Amino acid sequence: MAKKSTNNLVSSIGKYSVLVFFAVIALLPVVMSWLTALRPKSEASANPFSLPSRFEWSNIPKAWEVGRFGDYFINSIMVTIPTVIAVVVLSALAGYGISRFKFRGRNLMFYTLLLGLTIPFQSVMIPLFYQLNSMGLLGTYWAMILPATAFGLPFGVFLMQAFFEDLPNELADAARTDGCSEWRIFKDVMLPLAKPAISSLIVFQFMATWNNFIMPLLFLQDEDIRTVPLGLLYFQGKYTRDLSLLSAGVAIATIPIVIIYVLFQRQFVKGLTAGAVK
Amino acid sequence: MAQRIKATQRRQQAGFWFVLPAFVVYLMFFGYPFFRTVYLSFTEWNGLGDPKFVGLANYTRLFADPLMWSSLWNNLIWVFWGTITPVAIGLVLSVILWTGVKGGIIFRTIYFLPMVLSAFVIGVIWKWIYHPLYGLLNQGLKSIGLSGLATTGWLGETSTSLYAVLAAAIWSYIGFCVVVLFSGLQKVDSELVDASRIDGANAWQRFKNIIIPQIRPVLTMVLVYTIIGGFNVFDVVWAMTEGGPANSSEVIATYTYEAAFRVREVGYGAALSMVMTVIALFAAWGTLKLRKAG
Repeated sequence: MAKKSTNNLVSSIGKYSVLVFFAVIALLPVVMSWLTALRPKSEASANPFSLPSRFEWSNIPKAWEVGRFGDYFINSIMVTIPTVIAVVVLSALAGYGISRFKFRGRNLMFYTLLLGLTIPFQSVMIPLFYQLNSMGLLGTYWAMILPATAFGLPFGVFLMQAFFEDLPNELADAARTDGCSEWRIFKDVMLPLAKPAISSLIVFQFMATWNNFIMPLLFLQDEDIRTVPLGLLYFQGKYTRDLSLLSAGVAIATIPIVIIYVLFQRQFVKGLTAGAVK
Repeated sequence: MAQRIKATQRRQQAGFWFVLPAFVVYLMFFGYPFFRTVYLSFTEWNGLGDPKFVGLANYTRLFADPLMWSSLWNNLIWVFWGTITPVAIGLVLSVILWTGVKGGIIFRTIYFLPMVLSAFVIGVIWKWIYHPLYGLLNQGLKSIGLSGLATTGWLGETSTSLYAVLAAAIWSYIGFCVVVLFSGLQKVDSELVDASRIDGANAWQRFKNIIIPQIRPVLTMVLVYTIIGGFNVFDVVWAMTEGGPANSSEVIATYTYEAAFRVREVGYGAALSMVMTVIALFAAWGTLKLRKAG
């Protein structure tokens, strides 16, 4: 008996040390950069593992100012919100249409959309750049909103279609015998039932757009319309030597997202893994 | 009767109007440029004027291009280490969490945290970690007396750059594996595991013979997802090294970007991007087969 409990103790110490070790690895880079953001400039390149002698809070507003992060946050919001709305609305409509109706061209449209799940963005980015250029959209928010929406649709339609497919028929049929139009059935009966799938899709699309890397790099090159992550990259190019200022930039770019993540943790995990679990 | 069938048909046709808006946007900004890429890959174009049709010239150049092969080789290294490392670590952590520990939700939240950061942000943080003078890594090595291992720059040396970027990518990806595998483990029949324990199976046997077979579908999905991601990787490589130094961390996607947008060899860039397209389509086809077989 005594041996067994010693064994248990050893195994749970082993378990927790593995868990804690990887938790430290996951947190260390982020926490250390936050800590560096608060170091006085003179200490920034000293041993990063030591505690700062005092917290230099003024680094943050300074980085906000010289890094133009206020503008970049507005830009990120201006491309992310419309994209999320467009993807969610169009995906809900299309997913509903595909799962609930058997019309001519249904399979063709569905499989064409699904093909988009497998094709990487790099396979379309080159002509897309010239297309947006000739449409006169480069340098405007639309240059990102439109492709980001198109690129989000395959997954969105797939997710909504799978969700609507699993809903029972009875409610819609009852509404139909009551003489409701198809549009009313969708809007008033079925759509409210799809809230869980829609909230996953909102989180997924929000993160995909906010964090998107290659679209802003290609389509939003003007300094005035850079998004937060792109702005941070250029900021690093400019202030490589001023480590505390650079880290303050990192803190500005990460802290809001991390706070939102911790608050909506459950929805995040559900949304960001929805693609793989399905 | 005939009238009713007709009415049903008309009703079914309403579905078309639900799908149409999404389909149009998708065709305009995804479908059309995709076919345009295929076309451009048979042309020579610098982005101005009209593309000149050159037949298979880009493809013959592609197969003879050592940089294409070394980039593809880097993709293979990426797929190999970038898959087995996070999936193995993810398996260990998710199984430990699944056995029931205090604070499991806190651990999962922490592991997943890097997943919410943009590749740009990850790149900026890790460039600082690898900085030759005041980077976290070299400082850490010095403080434990291993300053001999501290190199002049993990990202600046051709022998380490690819692996340094890969390490950052793995760091950001472990949490995803943990969370997805953990959700797969929820479906494991714990009575079966207990029964095998009573039958005298040790931890490794229980893991290999009871748990793994039951989470196989989820495990397959994670593997496929990660492998495809490895062939398409661009973000974190571009953010940290842009494929350098001396192309040592070049992958197909970064090479494509350079060819199309830096050197302005648009046709050749399109041909390079077709390499990724073909691999992705093969992978999708393989996944479908695998799903049908499983």
